[in-house]
Amino acid sequence: MTNTQDHETLPDAPEYDAENAGDAEFDDDDEPLDLTRENNAKITMLGSATDDDSCASFQFENEDHTLGNALRWIIMKNPQVEFCGYSIPHPSEAKMNMRIQTYGEITAKDALIKGLADLRDLCDVVTDKFVAEKERFTAEKRR
Amino acid sequence: MDGFDMIDSGTDGPSVTIRKAEASHADFVLSNVDLAFANSIRRIILAEVPTLAIDLVEVISNSSVLPDELLSHRLGLIPLDSTNIDDKLLYTRDCDCDGYCERCSVVLTLVAKCTGDQNVTVYARDLAVAAGAQLGNPVITDEAQKGSIICKLRKGQELNLKCIAKKGIAKEHAKWQPCAAVAFEYDPWNKLKHVDYWYETDAKAEWPKSANAGWEEPPLENEPFDYNAVPGKFYMDVETVGSLPPDEILRQGVKYLQEKLANVIAGVQKTAGATGTAASADGDINGMEDGYGGARSPDMGDANGYGRNFNDGYVTPYGGAGGGGAGAQTPFGGYGGGGYSNGW
Repeated sequence: MTNTQDHETLPDAPEYDAENAGDAEFDDDDEPLDLTRENNAKITMLGSATDDDSCASFQFENEDHTLGNALRWIIMKNPQVEFCGYSIPHPSEAKMNMRIQTYGEITAKDALIKGLADLRDLCDVVTDKFVAEKERFTAEKRR
Repeated sequence: MDGFDMIDSGTDGPSVTIRKAEASHADFVLSNVDLAFANSIRRIILAEVPTLAIDLVEVISNSSVLPDELLSHRLGLIPLDSTNIDDKLLYTRDCDCDGYCERCSVVLTLVAKCTGDQNVTVYARDLAVAAGAQLGNPVITDEAQKGSIICKLRKGQELNLKCIAKKGIAKEHAKWQPCAAVAFEYDPWNKLKHVDYWYETDAKAEWPKSANAGWEEPPLENEPFDYNAVPGKFYMDVETVGSLPPDEILRQGVKYLQEKLANVIAGVQKTAGATGTAASADGDINGMEDGYGGARSPDMGDANGYGRNFNDGYVTPYGGAGGGGAGAQTPFGGYGGGGYSNGW
């Protein structure tokens, strides 16, 4: 055994600097990305938005593919939207990111709001169609 | 609205064809919507429609051979009648009581004792709710009207349990699932090549034909691959556990999808209030020119002076007229409404 001395010659760990601790890690309140983050905010605007707001990314809390994929589809249906995509960055965080880029006629946020409203209306139509079909089906069965 | 064509494949907008409707399952075809939307409906039906299930068990006495925790687990899995649970029950976390109360729970009692030489079988029907109540009754569909077996008792053994059933969703625990299964299929002839069938020598001969194959044209011999084709017909079969009827599950599912949207819309509005930049384009969200009047509760009507009255009926880009077939209801139908009226 020739290396028995080794652990004794290891350099000392840096000493804890009580005066400057905290400064580096905890005074970080200039988070440029989360301009809008409040407690329990359902949706926040991420950075990387263009100056004219035609392109932006949004982060949804507690949403997944159930909302994401359908919303992505309906936003892409809007001819003023150039691109819309979503991703779930990590499976153990209940967050969903969505990127919207428009051709510049409308803002990304407008496109998002329109998509939400369109999807809501689509849901109405599907419910109506289902209820009507159910009535027709039961009436036919009775005959 | 711009009136842009919402649907790739058709002109009529979404349509529904019911093929079979029974007490425990509904088989229907949803057409002219996108795969993403149909899948959203499937996902929300499976995981996010609330039902009632036993969540707490107070064991007063249990001298059966089953340990308390095993018994409790079995009790949790028993389907309970959850009709109109939305109007009748709060989530415990939204209730201002400590623990549980009659506004956020249903109490079932189970008292059984074996006194004779014959073993006694305890069934789901032995769970007793308050007299006259419909909500929380164990679902019993078998011919003998007994329900599922909970446990068996030998002479001298007894059970005395107080079960507290709460409202919940399957995302939290599978015992709250309204559905045993949701069948979901599209493109039964695999024209889109979304499935790559494994085969020994000939996939066509070795794989059975889909039950839905009769609903679509088989591909022609040597038909070229249509790279523009998208799925447009979804064959769904909602099979329930009995706590809710299948058509109700579907309607509730769509409703909760809308509620999700409502929450996001409310969130967007909050975001707009918090920053100057985000809403700069149009000043405020309610000023959007598409006539939606921004986000608001469908139940609000014209109360706030903006937007149209939904009761007038309207035409969406999806081709359906609001209220179609449902009479002079709001397009949100006459069901519940509880979730919308409060909060936003």
